[in-house]
Amino acid sequence: MASVSSAPAPGMQQIDLSKLAVPQLAQLKQQLDQEINVIQESLQTLKMAQSKFHESGQSLEKITPEVKGETILVPLTGSMYVPGTIADIDNVLIDIGTGYYAQKDIESGKDYFKRKVKFVTEQMEKIQNVGREKANILDTICQLLGMKIQAQRSAAPSS
Amino acid sequence: MTEEVQKKLQKELEIYSNMQKEYRKAVAQKQQLDGQLNENKAVKDELMLLKKDSEVYKLIGPVLVKQELEEAKQNVTKRMEYISKEVKRTDDHIYALENKQEAQQENLNKLKNDLNKLKIKA
Repeated sequence: MASVSSAPAPGMQQIDLSKLAVPQLAQLKQQLDQEINVIQESLQTLKMAQSKFHESGQSLEKITPEVKGETILVPLTGSMYVPGTIADIDNVLIDIGTGYYAQKDIESGKDYFKRKVKFVTEQMEKIQNVGREKANILDTICQLLGMKIQAQRSAAPSS
Repeated sequence: MTEEVQKKLQKELEIYSNMQKEYRKAVAQKQQLDGQLNENKAVKDELMLLKKDSEVYKLIGPVLVKQELEEAKQNVTKRMEYISKEVKRTDDHIYALENKQEAQQENLNKLKNDLNKLKIKA
C-alpha cells in the first residue's frame, strides 16, 4: 500500500517563484523531478495491484455450481500440474494481508475484490492529481529558468 | 593554519555525510513502518466486516492454521499498537536527526567561511 509522501509542495508555501535565483530554481526543479519519479513508480505499483485484484475477481466468476466435480489442473510448481476436482464450490479463502486468510462465499469474495479495486483506483486518482500539480509547477519552473538564463546571457555581452 | 582548518573541514564533512546516511535509513524505516501499519489497518477493517462465524486462517510458514476470529482481531490490534509506537519512536529519531544535521550544516558553513578567509589572506 503506497502512501503519498507528505513533502511540502513548493507551491503551497506561497513562494514567489519568479523571485528565486537560478541555483535555487535548479534545485527545486531537481527535487520536483525526483518527486514526480516517485509518483510514477507508485502509480505503476498500484496499477499492478489493481490488475491483480481484478484478475482474482474474474477468476471467481468462473466458479459456478456447474463446475462442481469437474476436473481441473492444479499447479504444484510453475511447470508441474496434477489433476484435481473442486469439492467446495461455495467458499474460497482470500488473502487479506499480513498472513491472514479469511473464508468467504463466492458473492462476498467478489465483493471483496470489487472493493479492493475501487480502493486502489481511488488512491491512483489521488496520486495522479498530486502528480499533475507537481508537473504544472515543474513546467513553470522550467519556463522561468529558461527566461532567467536568457536574460543573463543577453545581459552579459553588454556589460 | 589553512591546512589545519582544511583537515577539520574534511572531518566535519565526514560526520555530516554519516548523519545523512543515518537520516536516510531512518526515513526508509519510517516508510516501511507506515506501509505495515496501513496493511494492518486494511486487514483489521476486513476482519471487522466478517461474519461472527467466519473461518479465519493464519499463515505460519507454509501452513494455514485456523484461528478464532476474535483472537485474530486482537492480534492485529496489538500489532497495530506496537507499530504505532515504533512509528512514533522513528518520528522522534528523524526529528532529532534533522536538528543535528542543521547544526552540523551551520558548523560546516562556518568552517568553509574561515577557510575562504584564510585563503584570501594567504
